[in-house]
Amino acid sequence: MSQSLRPYLKCVRSSVTAALCLANFASQTSERHNVPEVEAQSSPEVLLNPLVIARNENERVLIEPSVNSVRISIKIKQADEIENILVHKFTRFLTQRAEAFFILRRKPVKGYDISFLITNFHTEEMLKHKLVDFIIQFMEEVDKEISEMKLFLNARARFVAESFLTPFD
Amino acid sequence: MSIIQQHTSASLSDAWRTINIDALDPDSSQNFDTTSLHPPLPEINEADVRQLNAQVRQLLRGGDAEGALRGCLETPVYNGSESAKTVTEVLQSIKASDMSPMLERIHQSPGGSELLDVLIKYLYAWQPLPAPVVLLGWREAGHRVPLTPQQTGFSQVGSRPGSTNESTGAAMSVILSWHEKVIDIAGLGSIGRCMTDWRKV
Amino acid sequence: MLLLDYQNVLIQSVLTERFSGAPPASIDQTVSDFDGVTFHISTPETKTKIVVSINIRCFKELVQYGAEQVLQREYDQYVIPPEIGYDFSILVDLENLPAEKEERDELIKKISLMKRNAMAAPFEHAYEEYYKLKEAASQYTSEEAPQGVREGGDVMAIHYREEEAIYVKASHDRVTVIFSTVFREETDRIFGKVFIQEFVDARRRAIQNAPQVLFRNDPPLELQGVPGVQTSTSGEVGYVTFVLFPRHLTPQRMPDVISHIQTFRDYFHYHIKASKAYIHSRMRRRTADFLQVLRRARPENEEKERKTASGRTFKVQG
Repeated sequence: MSQSLRPYLKCVRSSVTAALCLANFASQTSERHNVPEVEAQSSPEVLLNPLVIARNENERVLIEPSVNSVRISIKIKQADEIENILVHKFTRFLTQRAEAFFILRRKPVKGYDISFLITNFHTEEMLKHKLVDFIIQFMEEVDKEISEMKLFLNARARFVAESFLTPFD
Repeated sequence: MSIIQQHTSASLSDAWRTINIDALDPDSSQNFDTTSLHPPLPEINEADVRQLNAQVRQLLRGGDAEGALRGCLETPVYNGSESAKTVTEVLQSIKASDMSPMLERIHQSPGGSELLDVLIKYLYAWQPLPAPVVLLGWREAGHRVPLTPQQTGFSQVGSRPGSTNESTGAAMSVILSWHEKVIDIAGLGSIGRCMTDWRKV
Repeated sequence: MLLLDYQNVLIQSVLTERFSGAPPASIDQTVSDFDGVTFHISTPETKTKIVVSINIRCFKELVQYGAEQVLQREYDQYVIPPEIGYDFSILVDLENLPAEKEERDELIKKISLMKRNAMAAPFEHAYEEYYKLKEAASQYTSEEAPQGVREGGDVMAIHYREEEAIYVKASHDRVTVIFSTVFREETDRIFGKVFIQEFVDARRRAIQNAPQVLFRNDPPLELQGVPGVQTSTSGEVGYVTFVLFPRHLTPQRMPDVISHIQTFRDYFHYHIKASKAYIHSRMRRRTADFLQVLRRARPENEEKERKTASGRTFKVQG
């Protein structure tokens, strides 16, 4: 892990852990409903201060806590066009499987690539520290995966080009 | 006079369907008066802030980084931007090896944990944030929240002059390592207090 | 299978089976090839007389550049008037095959290369033109050469696909082959760019004697004034130029170079698609990994009743 990634992930880890203090909270606007307050944005007093953790301009995490839900949005590093398209493809691939991921939001918050929404029901069913582990591991691996895919693409392109041109030699 | 004649052009269009009527109801939870949640902010005027910043810089120049940091944290300036800059300067001037012992000393001193809470607030506040983007995303994601509580309620996300442009990776890693050290000493509770406190730096 | 075959494998295998002395059977098969080319193998009269027909989108254009002569040369005694709906047909009589096995294999090979041979016409034409121009140019120094010699031959356009074309142009010192290729999708466009960049760089890096490869999004200078060249700059169309130098233009190397360069477009797109498929499978695997991690967040499931396929229930132990 690179030197600057470690404090970044550590900071995200502690912030997410702190934000995941969720309790059941019935909606105040519609009776007998229970909605993630961070999405509904209908009761200002139950929303907490959002936190942003940035590693640089291209990589940051937005944590929006509320009384019964936390929204975590991640902006993944995209240095060039290729990474951009790979990130786009990958996040799209994931969000299309949002059902299986429980905490994945189908649409990222604007300005970010992928968002998670964790509600009190998730924290009741699942272990909180494991959820945090998941977020952190996701962040770690997504970067790795993207750069590996890019390397693969370049290597393949090179190989393909050389094999085509060699018979001319 | 028939009912139909009372239609105006406004009522004929569909626009009225999208009006959030909750926002118009003074008793609605959307219009909760968040000012009741604000603890009283200490009275401080601009002249005092300037004087404080000058003092801090003085200490910093004199080599007393710890004193400078304490000076900043003891008198947090809420809703200001100048002091955040000063704090950043102080933080960046402190060597990595000095961080933990200094924080430990501050934490041990009376009222030390509050000082660290203030420091955490500064650290988060410093995170560069393309504010319009986020606020926009939020407003769109959320349902038409009336503007008034929003402005008072979530203005921490507002842009901080000078912080967005200079957000180089190097500067960020200083902030991140400070964050790590503070959490080691003050614990996760300080993040919780930062999220819940309506007084923002 | 990294490089694409020049011949049509299906035709090759059908004919190999027929020629091997198996009992005659009736055939009626439509075979597809790249670039919308279709073949038809049939035995319309008797089981021993096999007709192979080909249909190419741009056959009319190919005829202009001498496709008929090339095909006549290649297939000679087998040529018959084209079947209805097809552009060119040949007939092979199983009772009249060459005696030697090598010759029979040669014939199979030849027939399965029918598409390649039809498409080769403009390239062969360009080769001949190049020889002529070279001859002509050798009489002048570069400044005083007459206009026609300096500018080279006309651009030959082959619209072998709906929206894509090959342009071939001969000059006195080179033959330029330009492929126009369309990328509908953003991903294809970017992947294509990565690939083509490597084609461009390969010459500089490893294979000094390869043809020069150039890439641009607007039509190259050679294509100015050629009818049918889109001037839109939407970025969807790319032009890949291969410059064949004299060392590629010797008569000995002609067949191989022509075969090989024809496969470029399909080879290029084939590898872009293969990369996409690989990346897709990679994402699938990674997603499964992520799910695994997330599943760990669930506390150990307590004993659950499960059902077998036959409907009996049982409890999972420990």
